Amino acid sequence: MAGWPENPRLISTSIPRVDGLAKASGRAKYPSDERPKGMLYGVMLYSPHAHAKIKAIDVEPAKKMPGVKAVKVLMNAGATLRYHGEDIAAVAAETEEQARDAVRAIKIEYEVLPHCVTEEQALAEGAPEIVTGGGIANNRRAARGQTKGDPEAAIAKADAVIEGIYSVPVINHVCLEPHGLCASVGDGKAVAWASTQSVMATANELASAVNLAFSEVTVLTEVMGGGFGSKFGAELWGKTAAQLSKETGRPVAIFLDRAQEQLAGGNRPSATGKIKMAGMKDGSITAVVGECYGTGGITSGFDVIIPYIYSGVPNTSNTNTSVFVNAANQRAWRAPRHPQSCALTESALDDLADKLGVNPFDIRMKNLPGGNLQEVYAEEMKIGAKLIGWDRWKPRSQAAAVRGPIVTGMGMALHTWGGGGSPGNQVTCVINPDGSVEVRSATQDIGTGARTVLAIIAAEILGLEVADISSRIGNSTYPRGQGSGGSTTTPSMAPPAFDAVSKARDELFKRVAGAFDAQPGDLSLAKGQLLVKGEAKASWKDACRKLGTMPVSVTPEGRDGNAMRELTSTGVGGCQFAEVQVDRETGVVKVKKLVAVQDSGLILDMLTWKSQVYGGVIMGINGALFEERVMDPVSGRCLNADMELYKLAGATDIPEIIIEPYHTEAMRKRGVIGIGEPPTISTMAAIGNAVANAVGVRVPHFPMSPMNVLSALMAKA
Amino acid sequence: MKAFEFAGPTTPELAVQALAGKAGAEALGGGTDLVNRMKDYVSSPSRIVYLKDIAGFRHTDATPTGLTIGAGITLANLLADPVVAKDYPGLRQAALEVGTPQIRAMATVGGNLLQRPRCWYYRSGFGLLAMKDGKSMVRAGDNRYHAIFMTEGDALFVAPSSLAIPLIALGATATIQGGEGKRTIPVERLYQVPKPGMERELTIKAEEVLLSITVPPAKGKNASYEARWKQSHDWPLALCSVNLTMDGEAVSDARIILGAVAPVPLRSSAAEDSIKGKAINMTTADVAAAAAVSTAKPLSMNKYKVNLTKTVIKRALMSAAGKHYWEA
Repeated sequence: MAGWPENPRLISTSIPRVDGLAKASGRAKYPSDERPKGMLYGVMLYSPHAHAKIKAIDVEPAKKMPGVKAVKVLMNAGATLRYHGEDIAAVAAETEEQARDAVRAIKIEYEVLPHCVTEEQALAEGAPEIVTGGGIANNRRAARGQTKGDPEAAIAKADAVIEGIYSVPVINHVCLEPHGLCASVGDGKAVAWASTQSVMATANELASAVNLAFSEVTVLTEVMGGGFGSKFGAELWGKTAAQLSKETGRPVAIFLDRAQEQLAGGNRPSATGKIKMAGMKDGSITAVVGECYGTGGITSGFDVIIPYIYSGVPNTSNTNTSVFVNAANQRAWRAPRHPQSCALTESALDDLADKLGVNPFDIRMKNLPGGNLQEVYAEEMKIGAKLIGWDRWKPRSQAAAVRGPIVTGMGMALHTWGGGGSPGNQVTCVINPDGSVEVRSATQDIGTGARTVLAIIAAEILGLEVADISSRIGNSTYPRGQGSGGSTTTPSMAPPAFDAVSKARDELFKRVAGAFDAQPGDLSLAKGQLLVKGEAKASWKDACRKLGTMPVSVTPEGRDGNAMRELTSTGVGGCQFAEVQVDRETGVVKVKKLVAVQDSGLILDMLTWKSQVYGGVIMGINGALFEERVMDPVSGRCLNADMELYKLAGATDIPEIIIEPYHTEAMRKRGVIGIGEPPTISTMAAIGNAVANAVGVRVPHFPMSPMNVLSALMAKA
Repeated sequence: MKAFEFAGPTTPELAVQALAGKAGAEALGGGTDLVNRMKDYVSSPSRIVYLKDIAGFRHTDATPTGLTIGAGITLANLLADPVVAKDYPGLRQAALEVGTPQIRAMATVGGNLLQRPRCWYYRSGFGLLAMKDGKSMVRAGDNRYHAIFMTEGDALFVAPSSLAIPLIALGATATIQGGEGKRTIPVERLYQVPKPGMERELTIKAEEVLLSITVPPAKGKNASYEARWKQSHDWPLALCSVNLTMDGEAVSDARIILGAVAPVPLRSSAAEDSIKGKAINMTTADVAAAAAVSTAKPLSMNKYKVNLTKTVIKRALMSAAGKHYWEA
């Protein structure tokens, strides 16, 4: 099997996404826009308490409310609720307003239990134990340690040692479209329009929820409004919608309201690290010790990698303690554990560089990890430095000399990610006698451009335009496709698309060669023409007409791991640079410019690739400047489960963003690698370092809010 | 949201009747606060009285005795008003920073003045004073956005209106229609500090309608400065408006009002006294700012707001003097 074309016509050019106009104009119909005939509105009732036992629950008043068709209890008397936002019951009614009124009519008697919602509360002496079992005691899972070399000895011999406490708070996914689905169950079949990152996983879970065979369930995700790692299954609310549909014989939609979306729709674990880092005057890092803890809520853990990136440091020690609190469990959040690991390591590294009097650029160059990414990092750093104007960088001590409140600074950080594909996925390619072409697979486009990329591959191979291809995904009944997570979608789906379209072309050649008095091997395709021995003989449509009434339809077996490596690879670097302006009298940070230099093997569509990087950087800017889930130690409730006090950037908060693909011949030869996660990882760290550079003092806690910046400046003064 | 009756009166008298006619009635202007409170079940009015159809409610009138602004004027229209732009830069600046263009297109001057606090305990349904077992949840909880002045009391939220601050600085009055006719009070008297047994931060009665605001003719210099986290849609962390009467280079009279730092708009006579008779420069502005915060008693998490308050006072004064020293 041949590899990617040597001189592609479409691949690596900038091609607008095929559904871009529909999305931008509002014509695209999202799962939460679906209103099948007779649809009922489902609303969840969730816990107002952080920790409580249900003593009694009475749904009869809700059943008597106008418009109510069904009520389902999910937590019975005796059940323990473990966080504000945990599901208790659901109502399906004729209108959304009726359903909302009805859930409020459900009568519940609670026994409110003591809670721990902040890490401080959970770690306090004598704190109530909110989770037990599974190696958890005192609301924490014992530290797991990894030690290499002799950190203490290296620290004793170092030219400089820094020690600091750095932290990143819990933040939410904040999907623009909330979690949920609309299900229609009846006649032994189910159809669901789901906002999901995996139509197949969702179909599987729905099938068991309503006791149907997988083959009788169709999950549709034509487009969807963001998941970022938080939308991989049907979930309790989705299964409940399907069950309520089965019970009522009417379609039922349950999508979370914004408050519950913030409370239970997904969050990223916090991370606090006491980091000690030692180095020599030549810029070499000799030891890193990280004692870290963080919380992933009530059920899930926390993990970071210290040191991040700099795996060549000879003496290291890293212990991680998971803290459990009364809050919804964490979910995979775009590059799980990497942004936190990056922020803790890269902050400490800049503090060490400052103490050693070494340029942050030089200390990174000096300590790059070995292996095949070393040269990639080195080249990317040089490109990024030029784009941000790193020659203007000045040490932190310059801040004291600046008159007036406004100071500027620059910072940088590195990151890494895998982004390889999974074997075994399949694509069907159909070439119809009228010349129309379809590719089909049960993957989905979560806003990344997956649909467009499949069309580009088909158009490239068939000598057609992207608009000539119908790219059909987001349907669980199609051949097995990849779940959209971990930057795996494109590298998983590009090889089976390549295979299906190549084999469909070969089959076409075999079937029409005779009509042109030629052998299949004499045929080729270019610019919408069929060529025989290099000479145009028929238009694409005329060539396809020779198929008669039988289309070509092929669904090749999925590739195994070895075969995947012919077209894809894994492992990327990447670096980002930030320039910020800080007002020392208000603590307000404005990012002026952000530079992202990124490799990811062969880039299939430069435009959707850049969109991914823009999106990642903007998410990183939000984490750096604004986002924090605030839990109330007194009531145990989340205080900012809304879009007003959970802060996110608006258009005027977004700086100039410069994206530079590192797309050399050597990178293109690596084949396809995913781009979803990498560009969001180091943005926070780069901005935090730029703020430290600007104000001359480390702001140890993210976000870089007026509160945190002014507090750091006050602590120094 | 609870089902409600709807009334659309066309005169102030009918509006008062409609509000008085049912317990739990509330007035609706642009709806940017009330509708959200209803959706969150923080407020569940039995009757909505829509005010925007009242004759004259949406007009401004410039006369020699001042500028009268109908309470139903949207912030967008206020910003477009040439008199406001020319004579009241402090009012214009404060209005410009409210919400988003979409919100300013709907939100009214009256609604901005009479909106309910943004305190996250109040908005979570714990009430204005957020007491639990006789203790303040705010004091023991997350009070990063709360008051730094008057914190000995039980009301720890901050008054939310951005327009009240410049209007009070400018000496504006509010005209209110009640069952027994109209009354006019200084804008600062729209507000009171609630306490247990009197959990109401507004003085206007349930059946009364705020009709208009009258701003006296401008003299001297006025300016506002707001410290905010985001450049896009956000609330002030601290806000200051000043109105200065000048005698040559020296300040002969001053009104210095602070927002987002106390349960009511706060006038700082200490800052005013310190600047009187002096020219405005970095030194005198610093002294005024320090004088203002000498009585601040921050809560457990908001000491940073003391620094912010100093900054907004200094910058409002310097802005009035035309010296935008913080602009890089």
